[in-house]
Amino acid sequence: MAEALGQSGLRTSVRLSLQFSFLYAILSALVFSMAYAFTQYEVRDWVLDQMRGDAQTLAAIYDEGGAARLIARVDALAEVSFENARIYQLQDRDDSVLGGNIAQPMGTPLPAKLPAGTIRLAEPMHDEVQRYWMRETAIGPYRLIQGSGDHITGEIMEALGAALVLGYLAVIILGLIVGVRVGRLTEERITAILTTLSRVSAGQLAARVPVFDRAGNDLFRVSVRINEMLDEITRLLESQQQISNDIAHDMRTPLQRLHQRLERMSTAKAVAPEDVQASLEQTRDIIATFNALLRIAQMEAGDRQARFERRDLAPILSNVVEAFEPAAEDRDMTLAMTLPRKPLIVMGDPGLLTQLVSNIIENAIRHCPPGTAIHVTAEVASSGVILRVADDGPGIAPENRERIFRRFFRVERSRHTPGSGLGLALAKAIADMHGAALSVFDSAPGTVFEVRFARPAG
Amino acid sequence: MRVLVVEDDRETAEYICSSLRALGHVTEHAPDGKNAFLLALDGDFDVMVVDRMLPGLDGLSLVKSVRVAGVATPILFLSAMGGLNDRVDGLEAGADDYLVKPFAFSELSARLSALARRPPMQAEETRLRVADLELDLIRHSVSRSGQDIPLQPREFRLLTYLMRNADRVVTRTMLLEAVWEFNFDPNTNVVETHISRLRNKIDKPFDRPLIHTVRGAGYSLHG
Repeated sequence: MAEALGQSGLRTSVRLSLQFSFLYAILSALVFSMAYAFTQYEVRDWVLDQMRGDAQTLAAIYDEGGAARLIARVDALAEVSFENARIYQLQDRDDSVLGGNIAQPMGTPLPAKLPAGTIRLAEPMHDEVQRYWMRETAIGPYRLIQGSGDHITGEIMEALGAALVLGYLAVIILGLIVGVRVGRLTEERITAILTTLSRVSAGQLAARVPVFDRAGNDLFRVSVRINEMLDEITRLLESQQQISNDIAHDMRTPLQRLHQRLERMSTAKAVAPEDVQASLEQTRDIIATFNALLRIAQMEAGDRQARFERRDLAPILSNVVEAFEPAAEDRDMTLAMTLPRKPLIVMGDPGLLTQLVSNIIENAIRHCPPGTAIHVTAEVASSGVILRVADDGPGIAPENRERIFRRFFRVERSRHTPGSGLGLALAKAIADMHGAALSVFDSAPGTVFEVRFARPAG
Repeated sequence: MRVLVVEDDRETAEYICSSLRALGHVTEHAPDGKNAFLLALDGDFDVMVVDRMLPGLDGLSLVKSVRVAGVATPILFLSAMGGLNDRVDGLEAGADDYLVKPFAFSELSARLSALARRPPMQAEETRLRVADLELDLIRHSVSRSGQDIPLQPREFRLLTYLMRNADRVVTRTMLLEAVWEFNFDPNTNVVETHISRLRNKIDKPFDRPLIHTVRGAGYSLHG
């Protein structure tokens, strides 16, 4: 499975880089052709500009020296025109030829381009000339016809074309090399990630994706994220293991005691009813502990949200406070409650909210000495309902404040009092499930348990 | 009373049946859902004990079918499924009570007695009377030997429940569920302290106590 994944990943990266190279080639070709076309246009413009310049010079000569100078100059120009790259003809008003190197009189209208074969010249023309760009100007009463062979521009364009093709090839080859290299690198990273994931699936939880020192890269971020996730999974597994160990350890003691008692009963001559009663109570306690553990586990799996409803916390609080009030009084404690007049609306399960409040109040009753005052208050803050259970008891040592929410954690002095050590763990699980934050503070003297509920939507 | 026990585990079924017979009840046992359905339609039972997980027709479907067929016999669900929603699901299916395994027989027995002799809903009494103790549900008043006894609302609710189940054993968990709506068992002696306060008011000033502690099981109110 991992192998197959690896191969398809490899193909993807190479295919992607090839696709990009192809796209790159097409784009480069387009850019290069445009460069070629623009250059050709500019060169033609330049040739026409030259002819216009010549014509202006000739017009100036006519203005200064008259027809004779003009004819002489045209002839001179025709004479110096190397291999007939430039051709001239000066016509009189009656179309008779006055000068130049074109053998036949040119008619009107004059086309912008003439194929080399259609023009007869006084001397043989350059082999490479295919066409002449033609132009005519009126100078005084005369008609000046100019032509410029395309072989010079042809050579320029040829040289440019060669340069562009060579450049293009270089660009494509370079692009392909870079593309494949990037693809290869990507493929290596992906393979590294896949290998790590396969190793983790195979149980090697310590495996991590090698992270190359190039932040910002997508794969770098993915690798970092995967490693963070693996760290989190490892941490969760370790805490899960810790919990299992704790459970096994803490359940062994009561089971051991029960076993001892039953053993003693099996060898005794007569079974004392108190022994039977005590054994029954022990099994009941063990079952109660298992039930509490199961409840915590189920709540952590969180499958009850569907039954949540909008509830006023006030009647739930009154009910619980009323239930525990005589128990507190029996221990010479006071349990009082002060609630605001407005409803304390939260989203939740009434049964679980009852247990949440009970467990916190019960914790205070069980762990505070006689004379302690317990006070339950609530307020509606902008973030939602805040519930507080405060006592003026001895307080909780700072190092224990986080630990009291752990399963089976018990402050040393309460080790020998009855109770499962699961009450606050269960309260925490219920709070978490309701998206509420349960925390504990020192209130010097005493302790405050605070539950911050989220404001219900809508 | 006649009890139909629907339970596929032989040992548990035998334990429940023999314990109920020892108390003088008549039991019938069905090992699966289909047999149970037929028996429930035919037999005239006072109460049914139904396991959630059964071969063939599961407990939840069995209870639904029995209710659809118009059988009103009180049903107690007995289940190893103590999950968060299981109890609500069971009661919504039409069961009247829910007990999670493992359970104490005293708890089961007390709950079955309460179910079997539950007064029909329409014939709700307004006055309850046990020996010389009287409770008026409309006027919310209690008196013993003609002497008015003021009670707190919760004490009144507790006494009402005890008087409705007079002569029977009610367990701590039954009281927690009925009086305080606690579906869990607090480690603190919530029930004991309230019973003690109630005793101070209705028993202590008089010669004869009415609230009796049943060791290892719960409480019973009788003359």
